[in-house]
Amino acid sequence: MSAPPRRPAAARRRSGRAIEIWLIALLVALVATVQIRSQAEVERSLVGTDTTTLAFLIDDLHRANDALSAETADLTQRKAALQSGGSSAADQELSAEANRLRAIEGLVPVHGPGIVMVVDASGLQALDLQDAVNNLSAAGAEAIDVNDHRVAMGVPILQTPGGVTIDGSLVMPPWTISVIGDANRLAEAADLMTQQMRGDRRVRQATYRVEADVRIGSVVTQRPFVYANQT
Amino acid sequence: MSRSRILGIFVVAAVALATGFLVAGQVRAELLTPSNQLARYQALVRSVQDLESTNESARAKIAALRADIDALEGAAAQRSATTQALKDQVADLRTHAGLTALHGPGVEVGLANGIPGPDQGGQAGYLIDYQDVQDVVNLLFAHGAEGVSVSGRRITPLSAFSGSEGEVVIDQGPPLTAPIKVLAVGDRNQMVTALDDPSSLPDLRDRVVRFQVVMAVSGSPDVKLPAYDSSLQIPHVSTP
Repeated sequence: MSAPPRRPAAARRRSGRAIEIWLIALLVALVATVQIRSQAEVERSLVGTDTTTLAFLIDDLHRANDALSAETADLTQRKAALQSGGSSAADQELSAEANRLRAIEGLVPVHGPGIVMVVDASGLQALDLQDAVNNLSAAGAEAIDVNDHRVAMGVPILQTPGGVTIDGSLVMPPWTISVIGDANRLAEAADLMTQQMRGDRRVRQATYRVEADVRIGSVVTQRPFVYANQT
Repeated sequence: MSRSRILGIFVVAAVALATGFLVAGQVRAELLTPSNQLARYQALVRSVQDLESTNESARAKIAALRADIDALEGAAAQRSATTQALKDQVADLRTHAGLTALHGPGVEVGLANGIPGPDQGGQAGYLIDYQDVQDVVNLLFAHGAEGVSVSGRRITPLSAFSGSEGEVVIDQGPPLTAPIKVLAVGDRNQMVTALDDPSSLPDLRDRVVRFQVVMAVSGSPDVKLPAYDSSLQIPHVSTP
């Protein structure tokens, strides 16, 4: 019986090369698959919010929680004072809160550190002033006045044919916006705002200055509630 | 061994070497980086969740403390006419400041995201953002609202709106996303008329058409607003 015929050398070489090519193709396919899957996984996990936004959110939440902690400490102290004292303690607490709420609601003149911003422009609308007031409030404004008109959330800033009105009074430019609050935070916000405004063709001048004692003499006239009832 | 065989081996070795470098490069540049990115992203998300949880419990504590203080003041007021008069004054001020829950006739404005479309100016016009909410709240206050809340957050005289695309941050609360529900108590007819006026809220109305952003207005005989449950401190303000 004769031995089976051996495959010719050329056929063996061809077979070897085919295996090598297949191995390389497999490796390339593997790397490509892993790459595509990794990328897809990252993209899936980052849907909605990017890390920068998250970082800003964390910063905002830290600041918010600090403010809530301060409020909690203040309320705890007030509760303790009421528990330990009699009517006189209650009178003291109530008087202090009445004064604080009158300042918050814009019912009394106030003063304190802050900034004064001056904006001279033609064609600015009520929406521009609303945005400016909101930006300053978001930067921690505790009292705001525009051209001797006290402004707080709920005080109407409206567009009329004659121009912008605050609580029914026409407020012509230039607008002098006086703000009391944390001067550093307010200055940061004012800096950004004035830079943006200077890029607006309608704006002739947009400046601000930090002041140790901003005085706001204007007050809001409070209207009694007609429709709302306490729960 | 023939020359062509040796050449073949060199070619295969070179390709294998290149593939090896490619794989190593991939591992260093992509495979590890995504896993690090994921871990960092997850850590940030956990931080946000922890902070939001702290935020929620702090606000609940503030609400409870305010209720306790109100009860203690009520007890003291029963013993003194002066205290009672002061308490009445403060109660009125608290109501105007948003520190008291309210109810009465009013409106509900529902705001919801639209459908993504070709954006203009790099802004996602189909998303409800904080400026939409700010505009609606300002419009309501200008047309008869006595109290307003946004998705359970009561608006106060010091309230401010901020946030990035699609997020609405109000005062010290965590970010809200659409659908947003704005409730207002006040002159219902005046508020509905203002909201229905085609010249009001021009940006929002434009996006209702372009992106199918939703703005649904309905009047109600009895709308309930919660009390404000966050900080109302003014440490930099002094009265003369």
